[in-house]
Amino acid sequence: MISWLPPAEVFVRVLYAMLLFASLWILWRGQNAPGGGFIGGLMAVAASAAYALVFDAGSALRRLPLEPVRLAACGVLLALLSGLPALLNGLPYLTHRGVTLSFGVVELPVSTVILFDLGIYLCVWGVFGGYCLALVRAIEEES
Amino acid sequence: MLLSSGRIPAWKPTANPILGEPVSSITRDNHRRGCNPGLLLALVPAVLLALLMAALYVVPLPWRLTWPWVPSLGVEFALYVDGLSAQFLLLITGIGTMVFVYGAGYLAENPRRNRVFVLLLLFMAAMIGAVGSDNLLLLFVFWELTTVLSFLLIGVDHDQQASRKSAQQALLVTGSGGLFLLAGIILLGQIGGSYSLQTLLTQAPLLQEDSRLKAALTLIFIGAFCKSAQFPFHFWLPNAMSAPTPVSAYLHSATMVKLGIYLLARLDAAFSDLLFWQYALISTGTFTAVIAAIQTIRERDLKRILAWSTVATLGTLTMLIGLPGNSAALAVAVLFFAHALYKAPLFFVAGNLDHGVGTRAIDKLTGMRRYMPWTAIVALLAALSMAGLPLTFGFIAKGAIVHAKEQVDALQLVSYAAMFVNGVSVAVAAIAAIHIFWGRDRSPRQVQPHEVPVTMLLPPLILVVLGLLFGLVPTLVDPALGAAVHAMSPGFDITTVSESYEFLAVVKAMLGAILLGCVILLSWNRLDLLLRRVHRLHKIGPEAWYWRSLEFLPLLAARQTRLLQHGRLPYYLLTMIGAATLLILILLLAARPDWNWPDLQTLNAPVFGASLLIAAGALVAMFVRDHLVLLLVSGLVGYGCAVLFLFTGAPDVAFTQFAVETIFVVVVAAVLLRLRRTPLDMRAVSTEARLRPLALAVAIVFGASLTALVLLMSGLPFDSVLADFYGEQCL
Amino acid sequence: MIWAVALALGTVIAAGTYLLLSRDLLRCLIGLVLFGNGINLLLFTGGRLTSSLPPIIDAGETALAVTANPLPQALVLTAIVISFALMCFSLVLALQIIQLAGSDDVARLRASEPPSQDGIKPALEEPS
Repeated sequence: MISWLPPAEVFVRVLYAMLLFASLWILWRGQNAPGGGFIGGLMAVAASAAYALVFDAGSALRRLPLEPVRLAACGVLLALLSGLPALLNGLPYLTHRGVTLSFGVVELPVSTVILFDLGIYLCVWGVFGGYCLALVRAIEEES
Repeated sequence: MLLSSGRIPAWKPTANPILGEPVSSITRDNHRRGCNPGLLLALVPAVLLALLMAALYVVPLPWRLTWPWVPSLGVEFALYVDGLSAQFLLLITGIGTMVFVYGAGYLAENPRRNRVFVLLLLFMAAMIGAVGSDNLLLLFVFWELTTVLSFLLIGVDHDQQASRKSAQQALLVTGSGGLFLLAGIILLGQIGGSYSLQTLLTQAPLLQEDSRLKAALTLIFIGAFCKSAQFPFHFWLPNAMSAPTPVSAYLHSATMVKLGIYLLARLDAAFSDLLFWQYALISTGTFTAVIAAIQTIRERDLKRILAWSTVATLGTLTMLIGLPGNSAALAVAVLFFAHALYKAPLFFVAGNLDHGVGTRAIDKLTGMRRYMPWTAIVALLAALSMAGLPLTFGFIAKGAIVHAKEQVDALQLVSYAAMFVNGVSVAVAAIAAIHIFWGRDRSPRQVQPHEVPVTMLLPPLILVVLGLLFGLVPTLVDPALGAAVHAMSPGFDITTVSESYEFLAVVKAMLGAILLGCVILLSWNRLDLLLRRVHRLHKIGPEAWYWRSLEFLPLLAARQTRLLQHGRLPYYLLTMIGAATLLILILLLAARPDWNWPDLQTLNAPVFGASLLIAAGALVAMFVRDHLVLLLVSGLVGYGCAVLFLFTGAPDVAFTQFAVETIFVVVVAAVLLRLRRTPLDMRAVSTEARLRPLALAVAIVFGASLTALVLLMSGLPFDSVLADFYGEQCL
Repeated sequence: MIWAVALALGTVIAAGTYLLLSRDLLRCLIGLVLFGNGINLLLFTGGRLTSSLPPIIDAGETALAVTANPLPQALVLTAIVISFALMCFSLVLALQIIQLAGSDDVARLRASEPPSQDGIKPALEEPS
């Protein structure tokens, strides 16, 4: 072990935060450029997996916003709901609309797609994150 | 099954809405004395017969009734009754009445009699449907119904192995023939654009120009030959004689086996001038008749003798349909009638002997006249008609046949064959009437033979008396026969059967047949011995092949199971991948004229690099032993794919592939590290051969064929409809 | 270009097939992954390698310029996701089987097809 480096625990905490931030950025970017909910979700899964490998599965599990299955269920629900506004406008289900918000100098494009993508993000994080953590936990119990 | 439920005592008669009250109340198998279901049920065909005859007098033919059935397929529940159908309907209901009355006596002691009666009723309904339907598909449905009911009726004594085997044989032969018929019907429908028989018949000249017609007719021939016991599908009929005698008389002589003949006669109006039609029917019919006549001599059981002579008659009918000309149609119509009127009584005679004496073996039956005088009279009268002696309906039939042959200068060979067949049928008639009933009873008997009850005498008596009556006064049947002939041969308008032939010619033919018949009768035993010695044909005949294929089937299944269901995963996969490879290769080779290999374009460095990475990873993966290294190498392939996607305009796919590959490798690596610590009893790695040549060969061929597929695919013009559609929709 | 991709694709599929036909369960699994990658490539190249521009409509544009074919991308994207899920599932399955049977040799994993007694199916031969 190289002693002058910070311990792995500190390192992974920073990595966790950075990965989550990156995942959210990819999610946001997915509206008009390559990226999106699935890739963002996988990034989040990678963050959870890294955390679990350094600490343990239980603490990684506690850092998830919700219990994995609930997280996934919320994601699916959100994705399903995101298609509803279109119905109010008489458009087919899951038709998405976008507007550009202006905050003085900064212009932000926002559309209902982001809701759908967020649903996917949560679903992927819940399902594959739960999967990885369960696998890591099984390995821990073994040894 | 519907009918076996009759054994349950608590079964409620009203629980059967289809069969109705009178049937269901007698379906129970516990038979009660005093209530005779056969007599009661005989009312059904009798009433139908009366209604039919009344209708025939009142309403002019043809009758037409149509309901939509499967409109999307153009299938209608269409009924069409013309002279030919009416003749069959008369036979079905008329003989049906006699069969039910006879069955009341014959089956009185049979514990399964109610089942037989219900099946017979259903059979009658199916027959009526078959000869009445105008739509060929509807006809096919009823046709197969008669097949199934025939199976059930032959196998009614299901505790006898012989019964079961015969039933199975009849079902397999006529049922598979039915499939050929279905194919033929569909093909004919495709050619003619309709499944309606009448429409097809009116389009006959158009149909004859189509090149597929021969195939369609061949398929229909096979179906009809199976049903009507024509060579080489004839062997099932004599075996079907294990059914109770009323069933044999009804199904296997008078009605069902004539269904094939009916269909051929139906189509005769359209195709009788085709040479193919004539040759096929004349040769098959004649050959069947001769084979059956030879087989007749080899039998010692009266019922089987009658069965073979029925096959001979069916052959004659087929041959007559094949003969062109109007008088042939007349001969067919007359022989239909005459055969039903003499053969059914003869079957009843065989049943009476079975009932009164307990045997049907002709060696043990002589001088029965003393014990069974009425049966003897029936036998004598029926035999006179069968031998074609003057003043019987059989004579008229013979006259019509002779005339039909004279009209068209039939082949000399056919005439000789017909003479031989006639001689044998005279001999059979003589055996049934004279050999059995006259002379002395020389066989030792434990039980005194006795005459049968009146229910078993009246039906055959009525039939033979009718035969005599029609023979004496042929004008009685002229309207019915005239209508039938008109249906088969529209241009023919003869109305008097009796004037359609020359008396002298018929007498000449008859005398010849009787002479030959006497010779055959006298030398019956010697001929039998001779045939037994010479006749080795049964070892290569169609029936032998039938049994051989029946035995071969389970062997094939066992071998195939052993070959395919071995429980070894790699070989299952090998089979599947091998089959897929074969399919791809066949498709590629079939498209050979369109092969267009793409050019070697200028190299795109990133794509080339990615491809190199992928190929290298894959090659190393094949021969790496360690699991962890294998995993990493497979990750290399995944990353290579991602790079490839990135540089071919698919950054989204590339990122996804990167993310997926990373997580997968991490997770599996964790699992593998754990597995390393787990002790296993048996590691596959240590037992597996280092190089598996078969797997390697299959893998290389499969990979190469897919490479070729991709290359050739890229040489084809690109259809961008879908891509453009999505491009427009995404705005 | 197409030649390089097609050859790489063939190699991947051949490697996947070879590994799939192995008796080692984990090698079968990795073989399945490679196989899936090869089929993804097949799908992708089926839509032609025309342009290296991603099919994205830039701001202000109203029509898709000459870009790569978006259709196979959508298909391959779905296929990657599904094969990932499939792999996750089969991995756990394989793990469980190996734990229960104490062997990773598919020739010994015969719980669902036990050796027969009827003389028709072949009896279990001891794998050499």
